[in-house]
Amino acid sequence: MIIPRVFFSFLLLPCLLTQVLANQGTAAHEPSGTAAPSLDQGAGAPSPSTSILRVNVSNQSSNFRLPWKRNQPSGKRGLGALLKKNRVLVTAELVANATYIDLELPGSGRKLTAQVGIIDYESNLAVLHPTDDPDGFFDGLIPLRLSDGCAVGDQLEVWQIEPNGTPVTTTVEISQVEVGSCFVPGHFLLQYKASGNVQYRSGTFTLPVIKDGKICGVLFRYSSKNEVSTILPSPIIQHFLTDAEDGFYDGFPNLGIEYAKTLDDQFRSYLGIDDETGVYVSSVRPQTSADTAGIEAGDVLLSIDGHAIDSRGNYDDPAYGLLNLSHLVRGNAQVGDESKIVVLRNGAKKTLKATLQRKAPENYLVDPYIFDRGGNFLIMGGLLFQELSRPYLESFGSEWRSRAPFKLVYAMRHPEKYEEEGRRKVVFLAGILPTRSVQGYEGIGGTILKSVNGRPIRDIRDLDVAFNFPTDGVHEIQFEDFPKIIWLDDALAQEDNFLHIPQRFRIQERMRLD
Amino acid sequence: MVLHKMRILSRFFTFVFLTASAVFSSFWTEDARGEPAVVEASDRFAGIVQVENAAIEPDYRTPWHGGVPGGGSGTGWLVGENLFMTNAHVVSNANRLIIRKVGNPEPLAAKLLHIAHDCDLALLSLVDPTPFEGVAPLPLGGVPRLDTEVIAVGFPIGGDRLSVTRGVVSRIDFRTYSHSGVDQHLAIQIDAAINPGNSGGPVIQGESVVGVAFQGLSGGSTQNVGYMIPMPVVKRFLTDVEDGSYDHYVDLAISTLPIQNPAQIKALGLPGGELGVMVTSVEGSGSSSGVLEVGDVLLEIEGSPVLSNGLIEVEGDLVNLNEIVERRFAGDEVMVKVWRDRKEKELTITLKRFLPYLIMAKQYGKRPKYVIYAGLVFQPLDRQLIEAYGIDDEVVAYFFSNFTTDEIYRERPEPVVLTSVLPDAVNTHLREFTHNIVDEVDGRMITCLDDLYHALYHPDEKAGEFAEIKLVEEGRPLVLERERVKVARERILRIYDVPEDHYLGGEG
Repeated sequence: MIIPRVFFSFLLLPCLLTQVLANQGTAAHEPSGTAAPSLDQGAGAPSPSTSILRVNVSNQSSNFRLPWKRNQPSGKRGLGALLKKNRVLVTAELVANATYIDLELPGSGRKLTAQVGIIDYESNLAVLHPTDDPDGFFDGLIPLRLSDGCAVGDQLEVWQIEPNGTPVTTTVEISQVEVGSCFVPGHFLLQYKASGNVQYRSGTFTLPVIKDGKICGVLFRYSSKNEVSTILPSPIIQHFLTDAEDGFYDGFPNLGIEYAKTLDDQFRSYLGIDDETGVYVSSVRPQTSADTAGIEAGDVLLSIDGHAIDSRGNYDDPAYGLLNLSHLVRGNAQVGDESKIVVLRNGAKKTLKATLQRKAPENYLVDPYIFDRGGNFLIMGGLLFQELSRPYLESFGSEWRSRAPFKLVYAMRHPEKYEEEGRRKVVFLAGILPTRSVQGYEGIGGTILKSVNGRPIRDIRDLDVAFNFPTDGVHEIQFEDFPKIIWLDDALAQEDNFLHIPQRFRIQERMRLD
Repeated sequence: MVLHKMRILSRFFTFVFLTASAVFSSFWTEDARGEPAVVEASDRFAGIVQVENAAIEPDYRTPWHGGVPGGGSGTGWLVGENLFMTNAHVVSNANRLIIRKVGNPEPLAAKLLHIAHDCDLALLSLVDPTPFEGVAPLPLGGVPRLDTEVIAVGFPIGGDRLSVTRGVVSRIDFRTYSHSGVDQHLAIQIDAAINPGNSGGPVIQGESVVGVAFQGLSGGSTQNVGYMIPMPVVKRFLTDVEDGSYDHYVDLAISTLPIQNPAQIKALGLPGGELGVMVTSVEGSGSSSGVLEVGDVLLEIEGSPVLSNGLIEVEGDLVNLNEIVERRFAGDEVMVKVWRDRKEKELTITLKRFLPYLIMAKQYGKRPKYVIYAGLVFQPLDRQLIEAYGIDDEVVAYFFSNFTTDEIYRERPEPVVLTSVLPDAVNTHLREFTHNIVDEVDGRMITCLDDLYHALYHPDEKAGEFAEIKLVEEGRPLVLERERVKVARERILRIYDVPEDHYLGGEG
């Protein structure tokens, strides 16, 4: 057996690295970290020249159709805000699938290799730290602090640097505070919309946004047509940094419900909420905060932590006005916090206690996103098996919902049946590499695996094990659909595995079982 | 036709239909692709006619209205006494049919005798047959050999007179007939130019008709590819209608996998000899249900050995094993020899039509069914519906494309879709829920449009003040106050000019 390459999932990575960071804090050589407090008051106000750095990133995404391959490398540039302890704040988007990162001083152009410390794709935030000894790199720089939060009408400065090192400051004004999508689909967090023309000066849009010399956000999206910037705000950044302080990054909690508005007067009177507001819980995902708290589909969600929910699913936030209810569980609370939820069930109010948790992407039947590694796969003979993930489906292009095999799209949308069967992942036959062992099977693909050699396949590891048990030198492979059952000769498949797959197809790693 | 059929169906949305019938309807705007050779009409071609169809195409988006005028023209030919053959797609949804003789502009009223949408053939006759007295029907030939010359005769675009194009027989193979979009039969590919208007016309070798021109392939990487319906299909149609009605094709309703893998042969315990295909599914209500089983190896059909790629030898040619069934009729029996549990076994299959496939087929000459309740428009799921509304919702697509493979038809023979909403105060919050399948009404499962109609319009006496419509995969039920719906009913029908709030089928 070939030993699979070991990949660190990004969830493990932050924990390890933040511990390293914590240690660094007490280590001997940390010039700027100790110097920072005095500079804050003494050596003048921070400016783009003293407090932001260019961040140059090479990245290489994984190929989800040919999972042993990575796509062509490409480059991205952005600007990072310097924090205490030589850490640099950027968007997760900028450093996703990074292979090499360096920090560059805007004036001198001096560079320092860096790596990702903490990264959270759901909030689109990351903290970088130097890989090597900084050796005076940070001398004279002033770390930035976080501002407490901003309100509609506040003027903010977007900090940039001209290619020649000259600082540029552009003023934008917050026009709206809302809960919106940050980066990966399905994750919504507090953000600012700000109006004002921002000229593009330094690569991709990852730009620090400052108010009164403090970080009040990171600009991550800009529409030149409407001149509107979207900014990840300081409360979310604060949440992200606070979370990581104990050395373990938990992420933003989620509730795990889908809800429907109750604006429809007939629906309201059917629900018996003529005089009240709230939203209809249309589904509750298993093993989420809502599920363990006992929220049920059909409940009317009336309030969270004393905040009444309106018929659209908003509540009146003391700082920002009307905001989507998800901010109450995501932005305002940390994993492990308790939340008091009042629902209406069969005409009676019920108060439920939810311990907020986060369902990590790898705990979904179909991974909603994967970065910094490829999808799990296994090649046996000429059969290519993969674990179903959303990036795999998205590899069928923007029309993937109708282009990708229907059954696989359907499995992503409706995981219940597979979860009830005890599956952790959906393993499917993704395609055929034409070799001798699979002769006659060329047209088969996109079909979900049921069992191999009589063993149910609940994830790709099961598959690896099941292939150790051929009967009479023949593997029996059963599918949910066409062709239902095929057989594979073990000796021919092994010959393919060790000879043809590495030589003819130049596939060195025959599986990834992370 | 089964392995291929399933695979095409499951990729319905990416399959491109390039058809003479599609081109046919855009007859008036299409440019000619080459100037056809115009010849004087001789006696030889006296039985070849132009067929003009003023059609009414059903409008699935406003099913309560009569339809949209359409149509076009094609070619037909005299196959018997006052009996003209043409394509089904030329005369589909016909409102008025006219036949014109070569060199004579006078319109002759015609009527439809038989139409077979599953093999794209139709028979017409003249109301007054006198203009064709003394004209001999065209003689029927057989299957032409590869690389022999044929001519296509007809009335394609580019002029009003008869046109003849010449080409050779390039390939004989099973193909999807794009008129229904799901049926596969034998088709012969020729490289004679077949253009819009040629449809239904004879393809002649020597003195005999060897095929009926019916569809072309254009765009992409193909050029000069025309298809004709070969004589086995034509003759089968003529035999089928001899009793006065058309009974449709029958199907084994199975899918199969070739047996070409050594492990497969070993696991099945086959003695060798490179024979047979493995049965991978048996449709629950099809001909083979209860006879064949998944894992059976089909060794012989009606005495013809089945090769490992699913072909059999018929009249010296290798053709798909379904060719045996293709030439049979409903109620016929076929003998098969299978390999099951390492033993040979002889079995008899009684052939019948497999109706669930129809959901996938384009259908013609049928008034679309619908139910309107509180301005919500409900229609049964079928191919035209999906195309008319451009429905791409995953749940609907799932029901549609897995209707036969997952045997959805057993539970819901006619899935009902909420297709649109006629806006009114009573439904103002429900517009976002369209393009969904109806699951239940007041707790009762909806299996067909009739169910829905009765549940909504004739509710149980103990039903509450709200009609409760549950959609598949939509957590929030649609609720409507029955009293308000009653009040809104007349208003909605009047404003949207809807003559009746339902049509449940029954008319022709």
